[in-house]
Amino acid sequence: MDWKKFFVAFVAAFGFIFLFGFLWYGKLMHGAHQEVPILWRTEADFGNHFSSLVFGHIVMAFFLTLLCARFVPAGGPGACATLAILVALIYAGADLITFAVQPLTTKILCGWIVGDLIQFAIAGAIIGAIYKPAPAHITFVKERSS
Amino acid sequence: MLAFVAAYIFIFAWGWLLNGVFLKDVYAQTPNLWRPQSEMMSLFHWIIIGQALIVFAFVMIYASGFAGGGVLAGIRLGVLLEIAAVGMRLGFYAVQPFPGKLVFYGSVSGLIEMIIVGAIVGAIYKPATIRTA
Repeated sequence: MDWKKFFVAFVAAFGFIFLFGFLWYGKLMHGAHQEVPILWRTEADFGNHFSSLVFGHIVMAFFLTLLCARFVPAGGPGACATLAILVALIYAGADLITFAVQPLTTKILCGWIVGDLIQFAIAGAIIGAIYKPAPAHITFVKERSS
Repeated sequence: MLAFVAAYIFIFAWGWLLNGVFLKDVYAQTPNLWRPQSEMMSLFHWIIIGQALIVFAFVMIYASGFAGGGVLAGIRLGVLLEIAAVGMRLGFYAVQPFPGKLVFYGSVSGLIEMIIVGAIVGAIYKPATIRTA
């Protein structure tokens, strides 16, 4: 594995996921979330738990990068975006379950699912565009797997 | 298809046992975060669809990049996906007033769940080249 490219891809993915999350879930969906205020922490309490949000995004970005690097050895935005969309479907499944057990509105559910799909597709494409191992390494992987 | 059905049956049974039985008291500590029982039952089909989507995506990811690796490859994929899901849980914990132990129990049980799902899918799903050989 090319760790230098991996690290750059991870940082780029984290930056994008965090920024997208802030804009999509924090700004664009703010009104929808406020329809069920009982479900959310207060502003001050959220501030106290902000480190969990940052750490959670680091974990998501790291393991998405790892998944793409290990299992799309040739890299490329298209292949990594496809893999990331499949990962987003797992999150979408979790969103559906959350909707069944928590008093979310359908607007929030739809926003979360669409957000997951866009967020992961673009993050995967970014990782695939950055993490491209040297051609010699790709040949080696292909030879080994054949 | 067989891998999907077997993994789905497990995930459904595990979800019921964990959330409906073991963690029932922990959920009861934050009743305003959850729908009433009757409302949950009326939306139960979303749980079924959600779990099916999770298993479908898992099997698709396994088939597209892990197939042929057997049980170990399935477990490895399960661990990777679950750790990414822990990230998601931490994100929810930051914005929703869950008790910390619910995140901890959910993450530990999620890890066990995904390891077993990975083992089931890895044991059952064989790529076409291996099946025909």
